[in-house]
Amino acid sequence: MCINMVKVAFKVNGEHIELDVSPRELLINTLRSKLGLTSVKYGCGIGECGACTVLVNGEPVLACLTLTVDVNSKDIITLEGLSKNGLTDIQRAFIEEGAIQCGYCTPGFIIMAEYMLREVPNPTISDVKEYLKGNLCRCTGYINIFRAVLKAAKSRVSR
Amino acid sequence: MVIEIPLVNITARNTHIIPFEFEYYEPRSLEEALELLAKFKGEAKILAGGTDLLVKMKTRIIEPKVIVNIKRIQGLRYIIEENEHIRIGALTTLRDIEKSTIVEKNLPALHDAVKVMGSIQIRNMATLVGNLCNASPAADTAPPLLVYNARVVAMSTRGKRFIPLEEFFKGPGITALEPDEMLVEVIVKKNNKGSSAFEKVSRVVVDLAIASAAVYAEISSDGVIEDSRVAVGSVAPKPIRTRILEERIKGLRLGSEELKKAIYEIDREISPITDVRSTAEYRRHIVKVLVWNAIERVYRRIRGECV
Amino acid sequence: MSVEFMFIGKRTPRKDAEAKVTGMLKYTYDLEVPGMLIGRIVRSPYAFADIRRIDVSEAVKMGAIVVTPSDIPQKPYNPRLVSINEVTFKDTYILTYKPRYLGEPVAAVAASSEELAQKAAECVKIEFEKIYKPILDPLEAIKPESPRIHEKIMKGDKWIEVENNIAARLDYDEGDVNRGFEEADVIVERTFKTGKRYHMQLEPKAVLVVLEPGGKLTIYTTTQTIHNTRILISQLFDIPESRINVIRVPIGGSFGSSIQTNYLVPIAVALALKAKKPVKIAYTREEDILDHSNFVFHFKIKIGAKKNGVFTAAEFINILDVGAHQVQPYPLLGTSLGWFISMYKWKNIRYRGIAVYTNKVPGCALRGYGAPEVQWAVETLVDEIAEELGIDPIDLRLKNYVGKGELFWGQGPTVKSIIKSDGVPELLLKGKEIIRWSERGHPSEKKGRFRRGIGVGRGFHTSGAGGPISGEVIDYTGCILKLNEDGTLDYITALQDHGGGTLDAHVKIIAEELGIPPELVNIATASTETTPYDVCTHASRGTYVGGECARRAAQIVKQKILEAAIRIIGRVVNPEALRIGYDKELKQAVVYVEGTDIKLTLAEIARTSWQRNWGTIGAFVSYRATSAPPSFTVYYVEVEVDTWTGKVKPIRVVAGVDVGTPINPDMVEGQLHGGFVMAWGMAFTENTAYDPLTGEIMGRGLITDYKIPTAADVPTPEEFTVIIAKTYEPTGPFGAKGLGEAAMNPAVAAILNAVYNAIGIRFYELPVTPDKIIEALKEKGELEW
Ligand SMILES: Cc1cc2nc3c(=O)[nH]c(=O)nc-3n(C[C@H](O)[C@H](O)[C@H](O)COP(=O)(O)OP(=O)(O)OC[C@H]3O[C@@H](n4cnc5c(N)ncnc54)[C@H](O)[C@@H]3O)c2cc1C
Ligand code: FES
Ligand code: FES
Repeated sequence: MCINMVKVAFKVNGEHIELDVSPRELLINTLRSKLGLTSVKYGCGIGECGACTVLVNGEPVLACLTLTVDVNSKDIITLEGLSKNGLTDIQRAFIEEGAIQCGYCTPGFIIMAEYMLREVPNPTISDVKEYLKGNLCRCTGYINIFRAVLKAAKSRVSR
Repeated sequence: MVIEIPLVNITARNTHIIPFEFEYYEPRSLEEALELLAKFKGEAKILAGGTDLLVKMKTRIIEPKVIVNIKRIQGLRYIIEENEHIRIGALTTLRDIEKSTIVEKNLPALHDAVKVMGSIQIRNMATLVGNLCNASPAADTAPPLLVYNARVVAMSTRGKRFIPLEEFFKGPGITALEPDEMLVEVIVKKNNKGSSAFEKVSRVVVDLAIASAAVYAEISSDGVIEDSRVAVGSVAPKPIRTRILEERIKGLRLGSEELKKAIYEIDREISPITDVRSTAEYRRHIVKVLVWNAIERVYRRIRGECV
Repeated sequence: MSVEFMFIGKRTPRKDAEAKVTGMLKYTYDLEVPGMLIGRIVRSPYAFADIRRIDVSEAVKMGAIVVTPSDIPQKPYNPRLVSINEVTFKDTYILTYKPRYLGEPVAAVAASSEELAQKAAECVKIEFEKIYKPILDPLEAIKPESPRIHEKIMKGDKWIEVENNIAARLDYDEGDVNRGFEEADVIVERTFKTGKRYHMQLEPKAVLVVLEPGGKLTIYTTTQTIHNTRILISQLFDIPESRINVIRVPIGGSFGSSIQTNYLVPIAVALALKAKKPVKIAYTREEDILDHSNFVFHFKIKIGAKKNGVFTAAEFINILDVGAHQVQPYPLLGTSLGWFISMYKWKNIRYRGIAVYTNKVPGCALRGYGAPEVQWAVETLVDEIAEELGIDPIDLRLKNYVGKGELFWGQGPTVKSIIKSDGVPELLLKGKEIIRWSERGHPSEKKGRFRRGIGVGRGFHTSGAGGPISGEVIDYTGCILKLNEDGTLDYITALQDHGGGTLDAHVKIIAEELGIPPELVNIATASTETTPYDVCTHASRGTYVGGECARRAAQIVKQKILEAAIRIIGRVVNPEALRIGYDKELKQAVVYVEGTDIKLTLAEIARTSWQRNWGTIGAFVSYRATSAPPSFTVYYVEVEVDTWTGKVKPIRVVAGVDVGTPINPDMVEGQLHGGFVMAWGMAFTENTAYDPLTGEIMGRGLITDYKIPTAADVPTPEEFTVIIAKTYEPTGPFGAKGLGEAAMNPAVAAILNAVYNAIGIRFYELPVTPDKIIEALKEKGELEW
């Protein structure tokens, strides 16, 4: 089947979406321009910075290297979806630990931190580095981000 | 003498979008995919994880007319242990491999390699087969699979063929695949006598290799190399096995001066270049250290000192 | 000096924190307006060429709006307005028929989508008259036989000839250098070269230009200075400033990359004027790296010292590779000298600085404006001299550094002031203990594959570029503070916050001055038409200059609040007896008289002033600082060098800083973390190398090959200690000074001095890649391979 304009249907942050897209449309642009989900940031377009990270069926995916047709029938979570019911423990820890400066990288980090805590509830500092090494931050030097993630992990485990 | 200054079409690149149109197909079965490949021949490109392909499209290194997205094909994502073999399907991601106990136990060098590839996001998207088909001299999964004597299975409407991985790589970005062929599986024979390891050096932690090395070796309990296979990356136009070296290190003791000297033989087999990642001289040097380190790690693995 | 503060020095969450952690904050790239066109820039495929003709017919046929140099005022300009006009060198054209670096904008298109704009851009055909071989080495560029990259440029309002590709020069002499060197017992002379670094701020530059009904322009863009952007656009297009409004938009990092008006701003304006529609241009990452990167510094430095460790003379030759266009290399020649001269008491000085054109991406400021480079070189040399003289490097520093009571002119010869606060001894001595300096050993004692070393680097940055007299640099700011009708306040300033929390610091300063909780103060959205002029958030002036301005506004507002209170109270009250404070029970700010029952809430005062028609309580302040005091930093770093691979790992970091009173201690820490990590990249990986044939950035200019440290390359929180000196800057708001740049400046020196301490080798060319380390070990006969 050759496809020129494609009908896609998927879930974003729990909401059903149906769209006609060109096969060359990228998920990052669909989310940002068509759905207004601008927490998904463009930082490089080539997989290097992690600012466009979203969860697709619970797994972290770079929206800049994903065709929108490819998420047909899948379930996508962006940062907007994570904090629907108020700030998460990770978000609060980011604020408390000064893990944000310009904030441009922050959505990608929070998504990855969320993913990590689901996979590794009790992470070591090496785990944190491993899970976050695909997200570039030029402002914070990462150190307060580590603190924030470890703090959130602690509070989650103790809950 | 007039030197021709090549034009660099910077305007054509655009990583916000995919800057050109293509025909798009989403086959639901292997047969359908193979028919599309047969139909479009060289005009079509297979899309798997897209972590190489889409970058190259955005930056206009390639401009395929047709994209065949194979991700909707059922039954291509697996790691199967079958008697003496491990089979890995075309849609198996690097993260699948990283999390696989089959791989961790039987193919530790491959496991080492995927753990130091890209980021978790990249590993979650990228496929092993994509890494091989992209055929970068720096492809990190290539050296481990070379030392395992892996074979790949290529399919087309014309049939199926088994290609030893060593014959699969032809040059930078060039493989033995015919334009109508798809790589469907990687087959590795288990070898439980020895163990294996992979080493890599790069500029920062998330990066392509400046150089890499994988070693499979059988080492006696007192540290003598009885048999080995060694492969290296980023030091030749393609990932290569270093047979002279393998021959020379046989019978040598770990940590010995003789072994070090023997490793220098690798100079005869490699042809590194200077590029933006590093210099030819450094690659020449570092690849030896990597081979040495990998051998040490194999030995520690054999003795159960590390995983 | 120790003062108890209510809010200053305490951790408080930043006001934009929630918007940032939820991803709701809108940056320029996130903005959209109905009917907006997307612009794309057509870039030169050659590094140095003459264009004969640009054929846009196909793009026009597609329906795209197209602009070429012929559509645009051909006025040379300098995108950064910071020097006074007489010393502003202008050589840039919005679009050009003579591209001087690969990727220079030659035309631009706009269409309804990025896909269409891309297609149209690719349809524009450029016919070349002549293609030249790119000149990439400044030392080659200055040879008389080299072709001229620019022939004529403007200095102020006058045309000047460019000779030998020298863009600008600055010489300086003080004392008798020859005699100084004659008196010296040791002389060390070295040459240094830095990499061409790229800012790699996470948000690529972007702009949205909206044509308002009636023809007024509204501009949203990534900028550190909305006012200079407005002035520049006004000058370029001959539009009165009153018809241009530049909005302050949150910016995703900058580090100097938007210290000037980015090239895409005038291009988008030209497109919008032609299209009569809103136009947005957002750079892709690979375009962003073509807009600007840093200068490359070539230094030759000679220092003389006596046996007792007293310096006698210094000679400093500075060749700046500015790339294809000037973004204020002339003031950089001045600051380079300023950084140098304000480091140590050299006594006699000779300085020769030239800025040279090459066919590379134009250089602009990058965090520190030359200070990390100069301080790396100086701190390397000081270590070398210490070793030659057998003096402890820390003692040598303490003996010679420029400190309290001495003349300081970090921002160059026209910006001088006297140092009034100085935490250097405290930081050097405390840090020394924490890092265990005395145990660091000598490189000759270190053997084995993995070798550890400890190094020190000391430096500073200025807080702004103010001074007692008006020099060549423009530096003043302004703000408005007004009490709203319910007792809250709006704080209105043009100053940009790059992420360091500058505006939150201002809020705390206002809160402290007024004695009210920071929550009451709103940081208002700001634009050029609603704010007084501010030069730019640069030179780490945000807290020191902007903060003092805010404090003065708060002082005025406080006075007026008290006056209103007296009016309400009605009884005769001695104004001196009135206090403002936070009433915990009422959970409100109140005005009260101690020992009486007189108490009015701020809300009551505000409301009464409104209801009784007394008018708005507010203040408008325009402020120039009379000094630009140094914030000192001291780094102690421990590294481990793998002598087999040439890779270096951070082991421990002690970062000491003297910022006067730390307004936000947690943000101070954050700056130091970020500064260190940026320095790590500068030391070991960051460089854009150029292909000698094409003049393209190698690796196709993709950040795949511009490696900044990742989370897995940096120290852990336990390995990073921050110490904040207890000082008080009498000229700063509540004793505060600036920080952003000081946080990084001497870190590279400390890192590479640590490498020396580990392996006994010094490196004079950045970045110090593993191949250089292996090569050097080999030369020294210490490569085990
Ligand atoms: C940020 C980043 C970091 C990276 N780090 C590393 C690293 O550390 N080490 C490393 O080796 N690589 C790295 N890569 C490169 C890349 O991720 C890997 O090569 C990856 O394995 C490619 O797999 P893919 O599924 O994404 O391939 P795709 O991009 O989908 O395909 C790659 C090529 O293979 C072809 N292809 C794919 N599947 C088949 C098939 N079944 N049959 C025939 N042809 C096929 C495609 O047509 C294409 O030409 C990195 C990439 C990025 C963006
Ligand atoms: S924008 Fe997707 S990884 Fe950078
Ligand atoms: S906070 Fe600015 S890039 Fe991370």
